[in-house]
Amino acid sequence: MSDNTVDTEKRTWLIASSCAGAVGAGAVAVPFISAFSPSERAKAAGAAVEVDISAIKPGEKLTVEWRGKPVWIIRRTPEQLEALKKVEGQLADPESKRKPAELTPEYARNQARSIKPEFFVGVGICSHLGCSPSDKFQMGPQPSLPDDWQGGFLCPCHGSTFDMAGRVYKNKPAPDNLEVPPHMYLSETRLLIGEDKKA
Amino acid sequence: MKKIILSVILAFSAAMPAFASSDGIPLDKAPNRLNDLGALQNGAKLFVNYCLNCHSAAYMRFNRLTDIGLTEQQIKDNLLFTTDKVGETMKVSMDPKQAKDWFGGTPPDLTVIARSRSGAGGSGADYLYTYLRTYYRDDSKATGWNNLAFPNVGMPHVLWELQGQRAPVYEEIESHGHTTHVFKGWKQITPGQLTSTQYDSEVADLVNYMQWMSEPAQGTRVRVGVWVMLYLLIFFVIAWRLNAAYWKDIR
Amino acid sequence: MAEFKDISPNAPVADKALNWIDNRFPLSKLFKEHMSEYYAPKNFNFLYFFGVLSMLVLVIQILTGIFLVMHYKPDAASAFASVEYIMRDVPWGWLIRYMHSTGASAFFVVVYMHMFRGLIYGSYRKPRELVWLFGCAIFLALMGEAFMGYLLPWGQMSYWGAQVIVNLFSAIPFIGPDLALLIRGDYVVGDATLNRFFSFHVIAVPLVLLGLVVAHIIALHEVGSNNPDGVEIKANKDANGIPLDGIPFHPYYSVHDIMGVIGFLLVFCAIIFFAPEFGGYFLEYNNFIPADPLKTPLHIAPVWYFTPYYSMLRAITSEMMYALIVCVLAAAYLGVTRAKLNSLLKGLVIGGAVLLVALMLAIDAKFWGVVVMGGAVIILFFLPWLDNCAVKSIRYRPDWHVYLYVIFVIDFFVLGYLGMQPPSPIGERISQVGSLFYFGFFLLMPWWSRMGETKPVPERVNFQPH
Repeated sequence: MSDNTVDTEKRTWLIASSCAGAVGAGAVAVPFISAFSPSERAKAAGAAVEVDISAIKPGEKLTVEWRGKPVWIIRRTPEQLEALKKVEGQLADPESKRKPAELTPEYARNQARSIKPEFFVGVGICSHLGCSPSDKFQMGPQPSLPDDWQGGFLCPCHGSTFDMAGRVYKNKPAPDNLEVPPHMYLSETRLLIGEDKKA
Repeated sequence: MKKIILSVILAFSAAMPAFASSDGIPLDKAPNRLNDLGALQNGAKLFVNYCLNCHSAAYMRFNRLTDIGLTEQQIKDNLLFTTDKVGETMKVSMDPKQAKDWFGGTPPDLTVIARSRSGAGGSGADYLYTYLRTYYRDDSKATGWNNLAFPNVGMPHVLWELQGQRAPVYEEIESHGHTTHVFKGWKQITPGQLTSTQYDSEVADLVNYMQWMSEPAQGTRVRVGVWVMLYLLIFFVIAWRLNAAYWKDIR
Repeated sequence: MAEFKDISPNAPVADKALNWIDNRFPLSKLFKEHMSEYYAPKNFNFLYFFGVLSMLVLVIQILTGIFLVMHYKPDAASAFASVEYIMRDVPWGWLIRYMHSTGASAFFVVVYMHMFRGLIYGSYRKPRELVWLFGCAIFLALMGEAFMGYLLPWGQMSYWGAQVIVNLFSAIPFIGPDLALLIRGDYVVGDATLNRFFSFHVIAVPLVLLGLVVAHIIALHEVGSNNPDGVEIKANKDANGIPLDGIPFHPYYSVHDIMGVIGFLLVFCAIIFFAPEFGGYFLEYNNFIPADPLKTPLHIAPVWYFTPYYSMLRAITSEMMYALIVCVLAAAYLGVTRAKLNSLLKGLVIGGAVLLVALMLAIDAKFWGVVVMGGAVIILFFLPWLDNCAVKSIRYRPDWHVYLYVIFVIDFFVLGYLGMQPPSPIGERISQVGSLFYFGFFLLMPWWSRMGETKPVPERVNFQPH
């Protein structure tokens, strides 16, 4: 081998070059990998939706689109709110304990699964295979529903049922309650879906 | 021999920048206010108020204006005319048939107009600065306006209330046996809301905003570029010494 | 068939891994053949960086191209908007776009310098003719690739540049209009054209380019690199069969090339970050206007790297045809009177010349302009057989040869400059003279390269230790 001084010199500059090269390679990777992340257009399309809820009458449902999904805003009547207590025994997850991070934000971890008990905000997609459940607000016996039906939703694809707080009934194909999206009230009449106070 | 070639290359690289479609008058130089956030914000306000009625800027998102120091709330409160979402682009839908009736054609999109108008005569901002300040009354035109930088333009003088109405004054010069009309200056027919200096400054803000809008990433580009160049210079020195460390072996 | 080598179970993991691979794939063998035991001349100069720089730019274009295609829309209605989308909405999209647009121009700078090196040092001479031929094919493919890529932003220059060049094909007699229709996929440049140019630009031509580059390097490694002195280093080998003037490519030139790459990146990044439009030469101003089939911009010029050839195309006017006819007749006369040909061949020369002159009179100058423009690139393929000089390198040629090369370079630059300007009477004259010189330089080379007193070529290369 050559004498030590030549060796050391090559080694010094090899190490320096490798370090500089590694830094450079990392720096160059950043823009390319960032280019994979959602663009401004995607972020704008997925932006929060502001809804005026002043025109919704008790018992009525309004549907808005957020991130390509249907979001329901239901103004529940006092009877519908009462009914929430009656059906607890028939529900698979009455206290919304399953997957809370995904399905039920903190401010919705209550019996009515909402910030204001009167207004339910939920994503209208069945947790089984993604169909949108149909409204079945009328109480009482109906086709495909039990005789003591207290009002809620029936998914037409495979028969899963949900109550007026989006909670799924036992022994149905759907495993989970309906997702409550992040949302917050900007005023008494303006609801923002897609963002909450913590965000 | 290499020296000859090198000097030839250098001589040619000193040549003028590539031409663009610049006929008309020589261009005035627009003041450079690209680093003046206040000017750019004022320019944005002027743009949204005066230009977005007919022109679109379909590639410019409203929320990109946060890059020039505005908050989303400020944008929503003051500048969101054509849409209700701050993430939307500055699109304006003018019916093409009506546009043809009123102006002879659809007003072009303005997002990158400043880049497209650069040329040997000056930057895009210079062109726009000259254009917006050389309108004059011309009753032979459908709009009643003509322009020295863009003769027979179909666009009316949108900013006329600020500048007032003017007419160009020509001088007749006899030379080589024929007469030529030489532009001498302006005559103010009716005053505008602003003085000439104030108007020039407003237009400067507007065209600087348009220059910024045509490439919003330009500030980042230059800032990142400085770091990249520093890094490469250091790396070059390292690579050079590495090379020397090996090549000293070669006899 | 290589022997299956066993390795001691106590050997380090890395050695065992390498042994596993080497028993199944010639990795170490390839590395030795092409890097650590490939002997390159030690006297390479600055011009010898441009080969590896060409490879670097190819990689840059492919990498940035992959990321651009993720967001670009090859549809006449959305192409322009998708480019602005990349510039504004895609995180760091503006940087990737500028890298690709600057890379396109950088590719030609680097390739022209690389070809220039080959030209002056005689790197195309026997036994390296095939290296040169592959290289010329790469140059042709690169021109096609750049031309088709330029349509993709769908700006005014993109559109009208493509319209003009495709219309050139329609100048070919008989098959021209149909050929142009086939290229365009429509009666004018439109969405159909855009889509097929996209396919060719993104996958077809890059694959061809990669294949040609591999062939180019394999051919080079088979015969070994030339050097600025034109001395064959394989003529002087030591006891081990290693050329005395050769040094292993790795580590000496790998390390040397790292320095060259960084130097290149300094210039490349300076342009990208501080002047990406480069005065309108790398990103043309008119291309920021969306394509309008109803309105042609006032000045259309091809991108700077095509302008020398564009000049030659424009130089072929009906007037110029007469000058060319004179050249053809003069060539035929000289061929018949000076060359040692039998009567049959002489007859063929005369017949051929008469036929050619008849065609030149009958067919439009427009067509011959296309022929000349294409011919200017094709003539490069013939260079190995045109050069009859006793020495390879310009260093040992007679002085007046050197002046001819200097004039050739200046000519190329002048033609390039004129190609960017709108046509003018003086410009036309100069490009005509320039085109005649360009072709004369090559076509008369078999004779002028033989003339003059060459300087004595050394046995060993000139090298200053540093």
